[in-house]
Amino acid sequence: MLPVAVDAMGGDAAPQPNLEGAFAAVAAGTPVVMVGPEDLAGLTSGDVTLNLIPASEVIGMKDDPAQSVRKKKDSTLVRAAEAVRDGNASAMISAGNTGATMAAALLRMGRIQGVKRPAIATPIPVPGSTPTVLLDAGANADVQAEWLVQFALMGSVYARRGFGIENPRVGLLSIGEEPGKGDALRKEAYELLAHAQGINFVGNVEGRDVMSADIDVCVTDGFTGNVVLKTLEGSMQFLIGALLEAFAQPEYKDHADALMPALLPLYERFNPDTYGGAVLLGVDGVCIISHGSSSPTAITNGIAVARELVEHDLVGEIRDVIAAAMPTDSHD
Amino acid sequence: MSEVISRDEVLKIVRDALSDILEIEPDTVTEGQSFADDLEADSLALIELVEALEEALSEKVAGFTIEDESLEDLKTVRDAVDYVYENANESV
Repeated sequence: MLPVAVDAMGGDAAPQPNLEGAFAAVAAGTPVVMVGPEDLAGLTSGDVTLNLIPASEVIGMKDDPAQSVRKKKDSTLVRAAEAVRDGNASAMISAGNTGATMAAALLRMGRIQGVKRPAIATPIPVPGSTPTVLLDAGANADVQAEWLVQFALMGSVYARRGFGIENPRVGLLSIGEEPGKGDALRKEAYELLAHAQGINFVGNVEGRDVMSADIDVCVTDGFTGNVVLKTLEGSMQFLIGALLEAFAQPEYKDHADALMPALLPLYERFNPDTYGGAVLLGVDGVCIISHGSSSPTAITNGIAVARELVEHDLVGEIRDVIAAAMPTDSHD
Repeated sequence: MSEVISRDEVLKIVRDALSDILEIEPDTVTEGQSFADDLEADSLALIELVEALEEALSEKVAGFTIEDESLEDLKTVRDAVDYVYENANESV
């Protein structure tokens, strides 16, 4: 397969985590090409040498997303997206500026025909089950009801291709389970989703359901989705911190040691590094958006996810389901 | 003044680009519409429009670009049409 393009300069501690993550991915059998400054050319670790697409500029975490993509045409993000567009890479991954990653992917790869707006889909871990795909996790603060239907379609494809869920159950995030609950947007979206073809809509869900095994895809606007995501991240950090603090007490040490074998796998499951990042759905290529603080493990896992989604033809199925839904949309 | 491109041609290019980007019918785009309030085009959609216009115009006007500093002034479809029409024909 074509290599996965890795933005060498994306992330808080770049390029080190990206390089280490890339070396591990190549060692595990996934071809990778770094996109970064010339001085990264020829980097070697053991038997692995990383190929490089040169790019002289870097889009910073605080740069305006759309403007920076337009102004910094030789940036690592823009060159990575162009590599996918031009058939030199199969997918791209960046731990850099999320908005700019989205803008670069959208402007260079283009949108899949019929897609109103791309959405960021984030896998949320669920104890004892496959993750829930939460979207939109931040791409579109304001949305229209019909966009939410497309998010449901695209999220279902991701759940199928990414996590092997044959008939993903889609919930609409609201403030109550009954159909009449929520604001005007949610009520309109409920009606559209209830009558949409190709969506296994199970109705409204509440915030507490996001991490439950009752749904596979949770659809919402980007503002709400981002608040949910960040709230969950903060809650998990608090919980883990509180547990570690309690376990550090001398009187609990023996109990803590006994519990660790059970808790560590749980910790791994909730660790954002496990999935390597979110997926930008609706653009004409696979684009993984990783956390700015991604570890080398997160980058390695993100590269593996990118490879899997390319091999499982995520983009092809999104193209098909959006095309199939278009005649229905035009009647609405 | 001879024209490289007529105003009607520019309007058609703008309408077609907005149609592609916003997934709307070209005929529904009118000059008086505001990008933000009427067409609900966000900043990213506007950048998409700018890049699409530059690409479409490049066939007729070599090196045609829309200055980033001018983007803030482009509030309506009419603003965009006027800007492109005037700048595309400026050197003729």
